[in-house]
Amino acid sequence: MVPSSETPARGAAATLPVKPAGQGDYDEDFNLKPKFATPLARNEREMVMDVRTQDMEMNMGPQHPSTHGVLRLLLRVDGEIVTGAVPYIGYIHRCAEKIGESVEWIQYLPYTDRYDYLAAMNNNLGYSMAVEKLLGIEIPERAMYIRTICAELNRIGSHLIAFGTYGLDLGAFTPFFYSFREREWILSLFEKICGARLTYSYIRIGGVFNDSPPGWLEEVAAFCNDFEEKWKEYNDLLSENSIFVSRTANVGVISVEDALAFGLTGPCLRGSGIAYDLRKAQPYELYNKFEFDIPVGSGRKGTVGDCWDRYDVRMQEMRESVKIVRQCLAGIQEGPTLAKLSAALRVPAGHAYVGIENPRGELGHFVISGGDKKAIRLRVRGPSFCNLSILPKALPGTMLADAVAVIGSIDIVLGEVDR
Amino acid sequence: MISLHVMESIGGQARRAAPGTNWTIDLIEWARKCSLSKWLANAAGYEEAPVPPDWIVAAVGAGIAVGLVLAFISVVAMFSIWLERRVAGRIQSRIGPNRVGPFGLLQSLADGVKLLLKEDIIPSGADRSLFILAPALVMASALGMFAALPMAAGAGFTDLNLGIIFIIAVSSLATIGVIMAGWSSNNKWALYGAMREAAQVVSYEIPLGLSLLVPAVVAGSMNLREITESQSSWSGACWLIFQNPICLPAFVLYFVAALAETKRAPFDLPESESELVAGFHVEYSGIRFSFFFLEEYGAMFIMSALGVALFLGGWNFPGIDVLHGGWLVATQLLVFVIKSLCMILLMIWVRWTLPRLRVDQVMVMSYKYLTPIGLGLVVASAGWEVLVAGGLPFNDRPFWMQAATPALVVFVCLLLGWMLRKQSVDSAAAPFAARSSAPGAIQT
Amino acid sequence: MVAPTHTLKSSGWFNEVWLGFWTALVGMRITLKYFFKKPETVQYPEERMPIPDRYRGIHYLEQEKCIYCFMCARACPVDCISMEAVRHGKELEWVSFTVDYNRCMFCELCTYPCPKDCIHEGKEFALVTYDRRDLVLDLLSWKGMSAEAKQRFEAAEAAKASGAAAKDAPKAGAAPADAPEHS
Ligand code: SF4
Ligand code: SF4
Repeated sequence: MVPSSETPARGAAATLPVKPAGQGDYDEDFNLKPKFATPLARNEREMVMDVRTQDMEMNMGPQHPSTHGVLRLLLRVDGEIVTGAVPYIGYIHRCAEKIGESVEWIQYLPYTDRYDYLAAMNNNLGYSMAVEKLLGIEIPERAMYIRTICAELNRIGSHLIAFGTYGLDLGAFTPFFYSFREREWILSLFEKICGARLTYSYIRIGGVFNDSPPGWLEEVAAFCNDFEEKWKEYNDLLSENSIFVSRTANVGVISVEDALAFGLTGPCLRGSGIAYDLRKAQPYELYNKFEFDIPVGSGRKGTVGDCWDRYDVRMQEMRESVKIVRQCLAGIQEGPTLAKLSAALRVPAGHAYVGIENPRGELGHFVISGGDKKAIRLRVRGPSFCNLSILPKALPGTMLADAVAVIGSIDIVLGEVDR
Repeated sequence: MISLHVMESIGGQARRAAPGTNWTIDLIEWARKCSLSKWLANAAGYEEAPVPPDWIVAAVGAGIAVGLVLAFISVVAMFSIWLERRVAGRIQSRIGPNRVGPFGLLQSLADGVKLLLKEDIIPSGADRSLFILAPALVMASALGMFAALPMAAGAGFTDLNLGIIFIIAVSSLATIGVIMAGWSSNNKWALYGAMREAAQVVSYEIPLGLSLLVPAVVAGSMNLREITESQSSWSGACWLIFQNPICLPAFVLYFVAALAETKRAPFDLPESESELVAGFHVEYSGIRFSFFFLEEYGAMFIMSALGVALFLGGWNFPGIDVLHGGWLVATQLLVFVIKSLCMILLMIWVRWTLPRLRVDQVMVMSYKYLTPIGLGLVVASAGWEVLVAGGLPFNDRPFWMQAATPALVVFVCLLLGWMLRKQSVDSAAAPFAARSSAPGAIQT
Repeated sequence: MVAPTHTLKSSGWFNEVWLGFWTALVGMRITLKYFFKKPETVQYPEERMPIPDRYRGIHYLEQEKCIYCFMCARACPVDCISMEAVRHGKELEWVSFTVDYNRCMFCELCTYPCPKDCIHEGKEFALVTYDRRDLVLDLLSWKGMSAEAKQRFEAAEAAKASGAAAKDAPKAGAAPADAPEHS
């Protein structure tokens, strides 16, 4: 536990020069600085009642089943009510961006798989598009169709995980298994087209690595039909369940102003009622060809921007993705799948930023090229990282069990937060 | 000495209530005539075997009874654990444990052996004595509840006039154990679990007690054996759930309250994995952990058995009256256990379907919904008994009424089933941002 | 049954009780449906999921085709391929061609630049050992030279020798090729 500011200051600390005084986690007297802006205070109830009460600080994570990875939340709680929260990140930092400066352009592709490992296709796509923007090349149309199918299927897969683990967070185990059952089909589709189940490295600079194997597109169509049936069951099982609604409606409400101020994107932003989707706002690839809607939070069960809305936006997006995939299947033509590129790729000098709509929000890649085989700088704007920043704002005032619900509804992937 | 007193009073009462039918008493009689004491007497040169003092007899009887209960509870708990895992597997489109023994039946045994062999860890900051005592207390409550269960017409440990009250009282003992465990673990998560358990069990005893009053009112007794016997007839129409239409909602209420009492989902807040990691037993390992586990499933069985005895006819089943003597008792025992397992199955089914409630919602559910419903049901059932049934026992009622109430109950169940036939919930009506909106337009 | 404690759209006490009861039943209907369906899982060691042709598993090398050009090793982002061979004219005497599976992430980037299309990723995936040093696998099916390569090499040597020293006494015939040494 973090000592409060009431802890008596230790004197003669000059013999303990662990860190320069006043920097890092220590104050001038080499006491640990309080982690919260305000120190632990005695509760007001003490004045009223004859009991001395004080808020408690406790660590949720990094080993906690509901922090979706190795997120550590320092919670300050008054009984069951959360009064403060500070997220601590960085437990699986792997220097992905720095590595991008020391490997060749193509070689960075496998590293993009690994930040948001639930949506690796989208990550591949974002990085490839950023480099393609610098290269200024034309992508063959069939490649774009396959890219879109893969990205949308991966969005469904990622939202299925969000759906399943959200049920798990709230104590419903069975939807998790059902969602994994459907995701398994998506994974086996990816396995057929690129040979990997999680870290695809399939969408590459200039197109895709392989054309789709025979029969693959038909199987995607079969999946779409099956999935729409299963999707209805999910709603019956979880979305409309009275306990589930009471656990999520009016919980963790993020107002429009907060959502914009904290830079939320993706379902978290749309859950607050803002129809901002990069697929519509800045149509990339073929998205302006397709008919699809942007689901937004409506406050149907509670307030606009509550956990149920964010959850519902994901559920509806899965159906929209199915729509897009169907249109892709209707429009796809034979053709090449890779643009002509030299083997040792040299990218013209310049810089480019491309943001795409990852299942969790805007995934941006910023690349600076010096005209060489490697990037000079490579930076990533991760949606989970930005969405996570709302936690200190959204958690206070909720209950301990709601904290789990809010974290789940923001749907972070720690691999991408920490990169 | 207190236990001796209890045993004596229980034994004495049982002898008065049902002479010759209680095998615990037979056991004590047998112990009196124990050949070992005769042999000892002969060896010592006495003519007549001295009758051992009562307290020795009581202690030996109690020991044997506890041993039997312990064996029974372990077997039932292990079977329920296996059942739960298999059913959960099937519900979730998977198979469940199937490696150890036929159909994985010995999986629980293997897990038990593993738990026994594990290192027994006591955290350094823990309150050792409380930490050690807590699982024992929890286990004791599960064992104690068995004492009052009417398993078959002639078999049961005791025959208490206030059997219902006894079971509720002893079941609350487990709460003390859980609070002890949570406090002594010196872990904040465990403490949360303990506090939640305390609040939850105290709150849910009210609806539980109210729902148990309904069969008491209908049967006119608090004695579990008498209530069960009042449900015996050649057909199953005499089961309490059919005797009075109010008993069906009362049974649902009892079921919900029993879920909360036994910390089953959707009321598993004290040990919710995804919030409190494991709640009050987060610091326990090895055999002490298995005590909590056994208690959970033992309590499940007892709560199911109580529901069976009170609502579903107990050991009665249409057509078993043709049997006699030992066969009858054995069949009744089997019927009782199978009915209880069916109710456990229902609990498992609910657990693997529903999400978990939040702690304040659990309280609200008890005080705002279940308690008023329970009060209403007690009043309604009493009204039905007096005004509609005219205060007659079920078998003396006019025939049309004997047929109508079961038919009504069956009809309600069928109606619900029929309504469930089709997909019910339509959530496809989601609002979308208008397609015509300019790209990137921010709508607030 | 369930208390939407602070739902703004509270729909009345009776409706809430009914909704809680009803939605629970709806959920239970779905779980019951799957209770009677066949499980989706397979019993792993006995049954296995089909592995598609493009699966990216442990590499295999068509050693005869490989020309020791290092393209694959250069393409690998984590530098986990290393090889060693001695050139005898056109023929190769292989010493090692290892992939360090501690580092390999099965990205398949090594297979595309190969000019002879001779390194592939196969369907094997189980890499379980007690020692991580065992994860450095040698892809060679034989070390040294293959029988044919040796014959060709020696024939070429012999031709060279006979061409260079035609005047000298003709040498004895080429030594019989040894059985290739398998790794
Ligand atoms: S699969 Fe990727 S990591 Fe493995 S050896 Fe080939 S290029 Fe290197
Ligand atoms: S790229 Fe192909 S030919 Fe060249 S060394 Fe590698 S495997 Fe051999």
